[in-house]
Amino acid sequence: MADSTSICSFQRRIRCYAVTPDEELFEVLEDVWPEENAVWIQFPSTAEALEVLFTEPPDLLLVDDRLEGMKGADVVSLVKSENVYRQLPVVYCLAPELLDQVSWSKVEADEFLLLPVDAREARSRLSLTLCRVSRSLDANPLTRLPGNTTIIQRIQDLIDAKEEFGLAYVDLDHFKSFNDKYGFSRGDEVLLMSARILVNTVRGIKARYSFVGHVGGDDFVFILPLDIVEQGCAQVVERFDAIVPSFYDPEDQARGKIVSKDRQGKTREFPLMAVSIAVVANREAKLEHFGQASEIAMALKKKAKENPKSCYVLDRRHG
Amino acid sequence: MAQDLRTEHKGRILAVKDLPTLPKVLDEVNRLVEDPESSTEQIAKVISYDQVLSAKVLKMVNSPIYGFPGRIASVQHALVLLGYNVIRGIIISTSVFDIMTQSMVGLWEHSVGCALACAEVARQAGFEDPEEYSVSGLLHDLGKVVATVQLPEIKTEIEQVIKDKDIGYRDAERQVLGFGHDRINAWLADHWNLPPKLREGMAHHHKPLSAEFYPAMACVVHVGDFLVRLMEYGSAGDDNVSALDPQALKLLKLGQSDLESILDGLCDKFIEVSDLSFD
Repeated sequence: MADSTSICSFQRRIRCYAVTPDEELFEVLEDVWPEENAVWIQFPSTAEALEVLFTEPPDLLLVDDRLEGMKGADVVSLVKSENVYRQLPVVYCLAPELLDQVSWSKVEADEFLLLPVDAREARSRLSLTLCRVSRSLDANPLTRLPGNTTIIQRIQDLIDAKEEFGLAYVDLDHFKSFNDKYGFSRGDEVLLMSARILVNTVRGIKARYSFVGHVGGDDFVFILPLDIVEQGCAQVVERFDAIVPSFYDPEDQARGKIVSKDRQGKTREFPLMAVSIAVVANREAKLEHFGQASEIAMALKKKAKENPKSCYVLDRRHG
Repeated sequence: MAQDLRTEHKGRILAVKDLPTLPKVLDEVNRLVEDPESSTEQIAKVISYDQVLSAKVLKMVNSPIYGFPGRIASVQHALVLLGYNVIRGIIISTSVFDIMTQSMVGLWEHSVGCALACAEVARQAGFEDPEEYSVSGLLHDLGKVVATVQLPEIKTEIEQVIKDKDIGYRDAERQVLGFGHDRINAWLADHWNLPPKLREGMAHHHKPLSAEFYPAMACVVHVGDFLVRLMEYGSAGDDNVSALDPQALKLLKLGQSDLESILDGLCDKFIEVSDLSFD
C-alpha cells in the first residue's frame, strides 16, 4: 500500500489528535500508520483538548462520542462552526446503536468510525478522509480544477524528479473589461469554457504526464513534457480564439470589439478577449525550486502581454 | 384538434430520452473514436453529417452542468469543449433505429443536403460563420425525427394524409398532431438550451420573417430547404417543393444570379459527398 511511504499527498509526518478516554482505541489508532508518517496525541477529555486544538490545530482530529462534560458531537460542531478550523478533517467515533440518532447536517463531521474500531477499516477511512479533504479544499470552487497547493506540489515533484517539463502560465487579456460590461456570471462562463479548452487540449495530447490547475480568477497553469508543450500552446490559442466570440452579444461579436462607458461616462473600446501563455522550460532539468519557475514566468508573462492578440512565449534560455 | 390531445402529443415528444440514429453513421463514428490516430476535426466532420449525433453533442455542451448554456452552436467547438471521454460516452449510449425505413434514410440525406445548402447560401449572402448556418440547416427537420421516435403510430397517419390529400408534410402534421415540426423544434431548442440563433433557424424556416431575433438565420434555412428540395437531394417526407418566400431573398439581398451561383456551388458540394450514404 502506498501509505507505507506517505499518507495521501503529505510530504511530512502528520499530526493527529484523538479526543477519547478509551486507551484501547488509542492503541489501535497509533498502529494505523507507521510512526515515521504520523504521530498521535491523546486527550482523554474535551477540557484538555480545546486549548491545544485551537492554538496548534492538527492535520486530523478524531472525536469520541463517549466524553465526559462536553459531548463528542458538540466538540465536532464547535470546531466546524469556526471558519478558521472548518477545513480541519474531523472523524466522529460512535457506537452503532447511535447511528439512527445522529443528524449529519448538524454534526458536521467528515467521516465516522464505529466502535469498537476495526484497525483495517480505520486505516482506509482515515486515509480517505485526508485525501478527500485535501482535494476539496484545494479545488477551485468554480472550475473544480486543482488549486495552488496542488499546483506548487506538482511543479516541485517534477523538479525533484529531474523531468524536462514545460510549465505554461495562462491568462486572459481584457477579461476585466468583459466582466465590467457583461457582469460576473458571464465572466464565469468564459472561465469555465477556458478550463474545458485547457483540460481537453492538454489531455488530448498523449504525454507521459500532464497537469492543469486553476490559480484563481483568469489565471491557469498547465504542464506538459517540454518537447510537446508548444503544440499544446498553439492548440489552446487556436481553440480559444475560435470559441470566445460566442460569449459576446451579437453586436459586439459583429464589431469584433466591445464598446462600453467608463466611470466618467466616456465611451471606450476594448478588443475581444485573447489568451496569453508564458512557458517556463525546465531545460536540462536546471530548475531547483518552484520559486525560480514562478520568477521566470512573471518576466515572460510581461512579454506575452505586449502582444494584444492571443499568443504564447517560450522560455528560450539555455543553462 | 382537441387541446388536450395536442398537449398529450407535446408531452410525449418532449419526454424523448433516447434518440436513435442510422447504423452506418454510428459505425463510422465509433471506428473513429476508437482509433487513437483520429483527430477532433475528423470526428466533427462525421458527426456534422448526422442530425441526431449533432443534436446530442450540442444539447450536452449547452447543458447547465458545463456552465455556459446557450453559447455553443458549432459541432467542432462542442467537441473541443466536451472532450474525448464525454464524446465517447455519448456515442456508446446512442442506439440505432430498430427498423431502417427508406423514409428515414431520405430524411437524413435531406438534412445533410440542407446543411450544405445553408452554408452556400450564407457564404453567398456574405455571412461570416457559415458553420452556424449549416448546423441550423442540419437540424431543421429534427422535429420530424423526434416525433417519429416518440409517436410512431402517428407517423403512419401523417404519411397516409400526405398521400390522400396531396399536401405538404407540415400541413399533414398540423392536421394529425395539432402542430408542425417547426413547433417541435422550438420546444426542443428551448428544452436543450440551444443558442437562440440555432433555435430561430430550426423554428422559423417555414415562415422566416416571423423570426424575432435572427431573421437572417431563418431566411438562410428557408432558402436552403427550398434549394435542396429543388435539387431532389434526399427526401423530406413529401414531394412538394415548398414555396420560396421572396421576402427571404430580399432580406438576404440575394438575386437570381446569386441563386444560380449557389446552385452551382451546391452541385459541386453534392458531388463531394456523393460517397456518403446512409443505407
